[in-house]
Amino acid sequence: MERIAIIGGGGTAAALAHDLILRGFSVAIYERGEFFSGATGRHHGLLHSGARYAVHDPEAARECIEENMILRRLVPQAMEQNEGLFVALDDEDMAYRQRLKDACAATGIPTRDYTPEQARHLEPGLADGVLAAMQVPDATFDAWRLALPFLATARAGGATAHNFTEVIGIDVQGGAVRGLRLRSLAEDAHGARGREWSAPADMVVNAAGAWAGKVAALAGVHVPIQPGPGVLVAIEGRVTNMVINRMRKASEGDIIVPQRRLSVLGTSMWLTDDPDHLDIPPEHVQRMVRLCSEMVPACAGAVIRSAWSAARPLIGNADATRPQEISRTFDCYDHGTRDNVSGLLSIIGGKGMTLRAMAEKTADIICRLTGRDAPCRTRETPLLPARAFYRS
Amino acid sequence: MSDAEKTVPESADAAAPESAPERQAPRTLTVRVHRCGPGGANARFDDFRLPVRPEDSVLDVLDRIRVETDPTLVYRHSCHHSSCGTCAMRINGRERLACITRMLALGTDVVTLEPLRALPLLGDLMVDMRPMFAHIGDDWGYVRPVEKASTGVPHGVARYTRLENCIECGACMSACPVSSGTDDMPPPEARRGGHEAPAQAAPGADVADAPQERMFMGPAPLAALNRELARHPEQREALLHIGKGPQGEKHCRRHLACSRACPSGVYPAKDIMDIRMMHGGGKD
Ligand SMILES: Cc1cc2nc3c(=O)[nH]c(=O)nc-3n(C[C@H](O)[C@H](O)[C@H](O)COP(=O)(O)OP(=O)(O)OC[C@H]3O[C@@H](n4cnc5c(N)ncnc54)[C@H](O)[C@@H]3O)c2cc1C
Ligand code: SF4
Ligand code: FES
Repeated sequence: MERIAIIGGGGTAAALAHDLILRGFSVAIYERGEFFSGATGRHHGLLHSGARYAVHDPEAARECIEENMILRRLVPQAMEQNEGLFVALDDEDMAYRQRLKDACAATGIPTRDYTPEQARHLEPGLADGVLAAMQVPDATFDAWRLALPFLATARAGGATAHNFTEVIGIDVQGGAVRGLRLRSLAEDAHGARGREWSAPADMVVNAAGAWAGKVAALAGVHVPIQPGPGVLVAIEGRVTNMVINRMRKASEGDIIVPQRRLSVLGTSMWLTDDPDHLDIPPEHVQRMVRLCSEMVPACAGAVIRSAWSAARPLIGNADATRPQEISRTFDCYDHGTRDNVSGLLSIIGGKGMTLRAMAEKTADIICRLTGRDAPCRTRETPLLPARAFYRS
Repeated sequence: MSDAEKTVPESADAAAPESAPERQAPRTLTVRVHRCGPGGANARFDDFRLPVRPEDSVLDVLDRIRVETDPTLVYRHSCHHSSCGTCAMRINGRERLACITRMLALGTDVVTLEPLRALPLLGDLMVDMRPMFAHIGDDWGYVRPVEKASTGVPHGVARYTRLENCIECGACMSACPVSSGTDDMPPPEARRGGHEAPAQAAPGADVADAPQERMFMGPAPLAALNRELARHPEQREALLHIGKGPQGEKHCRRHLACSRACPSGVYPAKDIMDIRMMHGGGKD
């Protein structure tokens, strides 16, 4: 049984561990912090319909709508399935409306139009000036409780998962990966911290999200990762039942994701090379509140419960003139064919909600490279509940 | 949406100030952090002195210490906005979520960070949540329908739904004097209803000394149980059997510390009283 070591303990890693266990591999995950403490835990919590990407990034839109439908079935207990609205507030938004509708139709995203009166009957908190609204199958999800079932199920199937364990080296000999060099961050029973050891592996997957570039460098290879941080703001009180999106080209401060008794406003985007030092610029916080209050005025007066940053694992694209134009699709790189380091893969890009699809693509490549004929079964295999994590 | 859905945290002082319009000058503070190995071995405090801005949460400051000074500092965190429930800890002696507690709003020059009580120590600020989850069914639901919407509902949605308010953070487990073994209330008279008085750990005693099967399961599992009762009335007998069993509601001595500590508006003490008043489960 080939031993696959996964670097990073985000949603991508958890879903990959689950997929690989189902296909008969031996799997170990190494995460330097708590599981899901990178982008996976911190995102907006929008189970995208894909409409946000339909016009300029149809491939990402198709991935979203497909995974949206699968995850509703696999992890319903992590979601508020209350749908979403796109709202038009000015002429420019209205001009975008038909393009958006056509693009949704082309990518298989169901939509339904509402008049301003109908929209405000649904969501009385919407701005008076709403000109039109369109329903899409958005939902809200709990980031932690959507990812945890994948990890719980993988562990119950025999995967080992090590948190507070940092990968500090990738052992490459004769052009092939042999294993990982690891460091334990927590104190052991003898009062020592930073104990180092080696773990052999037949293949290594770099699933380190925005840190994938730093991890790839440990093996002397390059991945085109571009960390793209953004600020999110949680305000007290639920301003709507449904997810609210601005009906325009994906931009800043154009999504309100209500969840429990909060509303999460976002997001901004900039580019950085250092995903460890994420600032939370106060002017971004203010801008998110201001822009979202154009859609739902109550956002403006609300008490801020929290503001934070997270780094998207974007695939670098020198041609994009705005960070929002960088595709939100994902890709898996085989460093055997690219860089002559066989047995090393990197999986980057994507969304929190495309974790299963990212895992499927990566596990397909691992099966091909190892000559194992095992189809993906994660679409239909039930997941354990999140709380089962605390049993394993 | 009803007014009851608008969260007003108990500790509005430290939990939710407005954003600072301009970046204000930082103040230098001492952060006194509990450090230890597994099981609380070699427990001690380390002091870190660093500048803190008004908008910094305790979690922001911990992240900065970890990234800039000590990568071996171990604490749990994920969502950074009070949804996942991983970052509960004792901040200046009170259970709070690190991610929504503003450091400067605490108003002390030294801020002391300790792990939750009532749960086994894994290291530094991290506790083992398994004993809490041992009493919450894996398969108990986590989503509930909204009682009634005052608005229309979109096409395809029969009723709006909500994730449960309990984020399973364990703050109530730590705050509860019974589950954390810090109860200094005089021993109870035999309670009305004739249940025998539960065995209590002596104040300050290691909770682990009490016999497992007679220890209080704690407030969070009972709050979850009451939600599950609402979702599945047909399972009432089996659920009440747990809730009124040897580790259940009978241990509660109405300190109400759980409801005061809860950062998520759950009021577990009310759930416990609901269960106490119900008939069934092979009791009453
Ligand atoms: C502001 C913002 C809003 C977003 N909103 C949404 C949304 O609404 N819906 C959605 O679906 N997606 C959203 N996303 C995207 C989503 O968050 C990410 O695409 C997804 O979480 C990436 O998951 P991952 O597992 O690939 O990476 P991560 O979750 O970042 O996991 C990588 C892990 O690797 C670990 N690591 C790094 N280096 C090492 C090492 N040397 N050794 C061991 N471990 C290491 C890190 O600690 C980290 O936990 C958003 C992103 C941002 C930034
Ligand atoms: S009841 Fe409140 S304090 Fe207790 S675990 Fe749930 S959210 Fe935390
Ligand atoms: S980090 Fe999720 S509750 Fe604080």
